[in-house]
Amino acid sequence: MPDDKEKNPDQETKEGLSISRRTFLKDAGLVVGAPAIGTIALTTEAAAQARKTAPVAQQAPAAAKLSPTQTTIELTVNGGKYRYAVEPHWSLRQLLRDQIGYTSPKDWCGGQGACGSCTVIMNGRPILSCMTLACECDGAKIETAEGIAKARHPIIQAYIDNNAFQCGYCTPGFVCTAKALLDKNDHPTEADIRDALGGNLCRCGTYQRHPLAVLEAAKNLKQGA
Amino acid sequence: MKTWKKFAHVDAKTIDEASSILRSGKAAVMSGGTDLLGTMRFEILPEYPEVLVNLKTISGLDYVKEEAGALRIGALTRLQDIAENKMIRAKYTALAEAAHRTATPHIREMGTIAGNICQFTRCWYFRNPDNRFYCTRKGGKQCFAAAGENRYHSIFGAVKMCFAVNPSDTAPALVALNAQIKTNKRLIEAEQFWDMKVPGSTVLAADEIVTEIQIPALAAGAKSAFIKFAIRKSIDFPIVNCAALIGGGDARVCMNAVYNKPYRSTPAEEAMKGKPINEANADAAGAAAVAAAKALPGDRNKWKIPIAKAMVKRAILACA
Repeated sequence: MPDDKEKNPDQETKEGLSISRRTFLKDAGLVVGAPAIGTIALTTEAAAQARKTAPVAQQAPAAAKLSPTQTTIELTVNGGKYRYAVEPHWSLRQLLRDQIGYTSPKDWCGGQGACGSCTVIMNGRPILSCMTLACECDGAKIETAEGIAKARHPIIQAYIDNNAFQCGYCTPGFVCTAKALLDKNDHPTEADIRDALGGNLCRCGTYQRHPLAVLEAAKNLKQGA
Repeated sequence: MKTWKKFAHVDAKTIDEASSILRSGKAAVMSGGTDLLGTMRFEILPEYPEVLVNLKTISGLDYVKEEAGALRIGALTRLQDIAENKMIRAKYTALAEAAHRTATPHIREMGTIAGNICQFTRCWYFRNPDNRFYCTRKGGKQCFAAAGENRYHSIFGAVKMCFAVNPSDTAPALVALNAQIKTNKRLIEAEQFWDMKVPGSTVLAADEIVTEIQIPALAAGAKSAFIKFAIRKSIDFPIVNCAALIGGGDARVCMNAVYNKPYRSTPAEEAMKGKPINEANADAAGAAAVAAAKALPGDRNKWKIPIAKAMVKRAILACA
């Protein structure tokens, strides 16, 4: 099984807070729309210092300090605008999963760019979020599988109707790649689809069904279904 | 997933700025990042860059244009854009096909032409995580592949004791198309662009950055083609690939993944010069191309020789 626990430089901070970081971000960030930079900018060192000197309730203000290595980026993910302070060595996948909370970009090949499971659509291109630095995504428009599902894109129903997955782990990557293809080419041939999905691996081996699902989605898109 | 060790990150605004940061020490430039970030994540190289310079923020380096009949491609042009470009597909078929057969669609959407020609070798000793094999390519004294697992290694001998091969798909196409590579310092003939460096693959100086690829117009009647053999068609690096340009009184044939750098085959070119493209001539050229090939002791990479012969033959036939 792939080890999906990515070491997050900020993970230690969770211990010091009474609520989990992800829940906190979802509550504070996603509801408000644009999370304050300070809550995200908590560095490991700052957190350790804060834990030593302050009770839990007072830790949040201490977090407002920006680490000197961090940069602030603004990006759009699934239509929502976000502002984050990120470290140079964070991947986009780390930012999406651990900070913003979109867990569909999976890790399988361990960050070699070999499996396509972490695919997201950035500015219309299907890209590997594990090989993209978060700090280079300033101004980017990103779509994840969650956004595609929420927008009720026909690709989702087509995948369900065609049983185009088994365990489902690689599916978000496939869905993003397929959606990017359909955005560019609304009448793809089977060869086009096989070519476009060539970078996504599926170890259950459901390869035969992906083209069927994408062809059906293309048909349904044209009919406005 | 392994995370990257810490590094500083600079968004360069100009090539000069990027070049001056390179001069100042342990820095590396990055465009698509699909090769460099992988080597950094797995700490493959002896030296981990302290500063990563992002070239994508330099404007005006992402273009494909024809000027005075010649093709000019900006260094930051994505491989997918080259593969999909109708003009390149029609006139410079070998390059479009090579770009199309490079890696996966995702990597083509991220990776650039300049990054592709400057990538590190894929030798598995060189690429072993945590810099485990201190080989000749890293400044050591030994090529571990020479006596070790070398089924994908060079069939034309070593360069400075390194039997690793150049894995680029676009490189042989550029050599066959007689391209020139422009950097911030000079203009380099494609054929002279690659070399065995520690740990790189190009002749670029430490502060030199590729800015443009220039390809002269093809002679009337000339056609180019690119053929690749890989284990998995849609993903893998080449076992052997070959680009050819035949016609208009010229014949250029270049293989890759068979030698430390793209391997231009003069015997194959001689065999085709002034001759019509047909099965017999192409076969003879293929045989000529691998006449000097020699498997490493143990014959583990011997299987690459007939494949190389077939790739040369098919690339030539595809120019018909």
